[in-house]
Amino acid sequence: MLRQLSSLPLLFRPAGPLHRYHGSLIARFTTTTPASLKQLPPRPKPPPESEIEESFLKGSGPGGQKINKTNSAVQLRHIPTGIVVKSQATRSRSQNRKIARELLAARLDELINGTQSRTAIVSEVKKKRAASKAKKSRRKYRKLAGEKGREEKNEEEEEEEGEEEEGQEEARLHEVEGKTKTTESNNAQQTQATPQGNETR
Amino acid sequence: MPRLPPSVFWRARREISPMAAQLLPACRDLESAANELRWIRQHVRDTRSPIPPELRIWKLVEKRGRGVPLQYVLGTQPFGDLEIKCKPGVLIPRPETEAYTLYLASLLCKDQALSTTPPPSLSILDLCTGTACIPLLLLHALQRYPSLSQTSLYAHGIDISRHAVRLARLNQAHNNHLLSAPSSSSISNHVDNNPKLNFTQASIFSPNLLPILQSHSPQWDVLTCNPPYISASGFRRDTARAVRNYEPRLALIPDAQLAGLASQCKCQPEDVFYARVLEMAAVLQPRRVVLEVGGWAQALRVVDMLSEELMALYRTVEIWRDEPGAGEGRKREVVEFGGREVRVRGEGMGRVVYLYQGTEEGG
Repeated sequence: MLRQLSSLPLLFRPAGPLHRYHGSLIARFTTTTPASLKQLPPRPKPPPESEIEESFLKGSGPGGQKINKTNSAVQLRHIPTGIVVKSQATRSRSQNRKIARELLAARLDELINGTQSRTAIVSEVKKKRAASKAKKSRRKYRKLAGEKGREEKNEEEEEEEGEEEEGQEEARLHEVEGKTKTTESNNAQQTQATPQGNETR
Repeated sequence: MPRLPPSVFWRARREISPMAAQLLPACRDLESAANELRWIRQHVRDTRSPIPPELRIWKLVEKRGRGVPLQYVLGTQPFGDLEIKCKPGVLIPRPETEAYTLYLASLLCKDQALSTTPPPSLSILDLCTGTACIPLLLLHALQRYPSLSQTSLYAHGIDISRHAVRLARLNQAHNNHLLSAPSSSSISNHVDNNPKLNFTQASIFSPNLLPILQSHSPQWDVLTCNPPYISASGFRRDTARAVRNYEPRLALIPDAQLAGLASQCKCQPEDVFYARVLEMAAVLQPRRVVLEVGGWAQALRVVDMLSEELMALYRTVEIWRDEPGAGEGRKREVVEFGGREVRVRGEGMGRVVYLYQGTEEGG
């Protein structure tokens, strides 16, 4: 369903130099997720090893053959920012090292890019999906309740209440969409800005 | 072991699950109880069995709660990128072993990258191999380095225990898919570049072993050994309960029958394996020797055991701590030993005595 809808604006987009201006117009009229949201920003790369201080959390003691620890937690500290992340997701230490580095990269991305970071965008998308799902299910049960109510002849109260709720929900959705649109435009600015940044470097 | 307060059990039951409370006597704290319960559930989810999953989880939790090591309960232990099968009767691979094995692999690779002509072969001898975790991880790590793509790798594992040798072969088969050479390397160049790995059941004290090893490879590049190194008093005093009750004594404490040998070569009973391995090293003259030790004092004793001959043969003598790669670029740590400089690397407890015929480049 989502995929179908999101492919619609692409269909209307005329091929040619004008499409850039049309694109924004169409995006304003459609209530579906913009196509760009489907392509989430790439996973951020972990910082260089020289900026990381790694430690393996384990109790004090003789270690080696004398102890058999199952704890393979890995803790990383990013030296320039002081961010500390810890992973004990798996039994494998090498796996935990990878996971901890990904976590640290995500945390740094959040710090630098704020609302445009990958985690923020992903959570936004998830929130939206959950909201639309909740809306659909509410609509479905209202309909069911309505049918039942008609039989019992006291549907009016429920109906009103439901509509009010849906209205609020829709308003919230629009708000969210507005936010994602602003982040989108910011992203575009950033991509424009990067070549200049490279030049200065 | 101090008694756990009842409040911890209440919290485990309320905040995690009644099964976490059952794990507490073995895990000792809430966090690791939650972790282990998660891993047990994961294991049950990932493996098939006709028994209902809830019953399997309950059985495994009960077993772990009794104090059986988690690796024996689940049957595996991750070791680097490999999964090593574990069975009662064979020592479970330790994270310290993993750390120095990977560090050794990086050293070997650096050495190869520096030499202009890569050698055609590299042979590894692992004594007291147990689950075969060391040779398997070394082979796996080495064959992924591009500088070693033209080198044929060979490893040989020796263990006295029948169970260990059988498990070692099982582990070889279990990790075979990870050991075959990467398919991207040109097939036309070399027909078979997969690393070879053999195991022999033998006592390293047997006089017949040395000629056999010499016939296997005229020049061994690496000799690794993680022998039993705990003293009888250390076993009673320092070992964790799960180790004492469930792991094989054979892999932890040198056999009492060898104690006579210890008095012969004037060393402590727990160091008797090092005496023998150093004796073997003097004959085989491997380029590198990596001996796991039980702590700083034992590391110093092993360095002290080096004969004049070995001191002349090995130009580099180092002691590695638990994390030999950590703390790189910090101030050099050095101990003096009879006019000889012994470099100390890494952080943690003394873990490895390292001998190398060459000199380490770069720091």
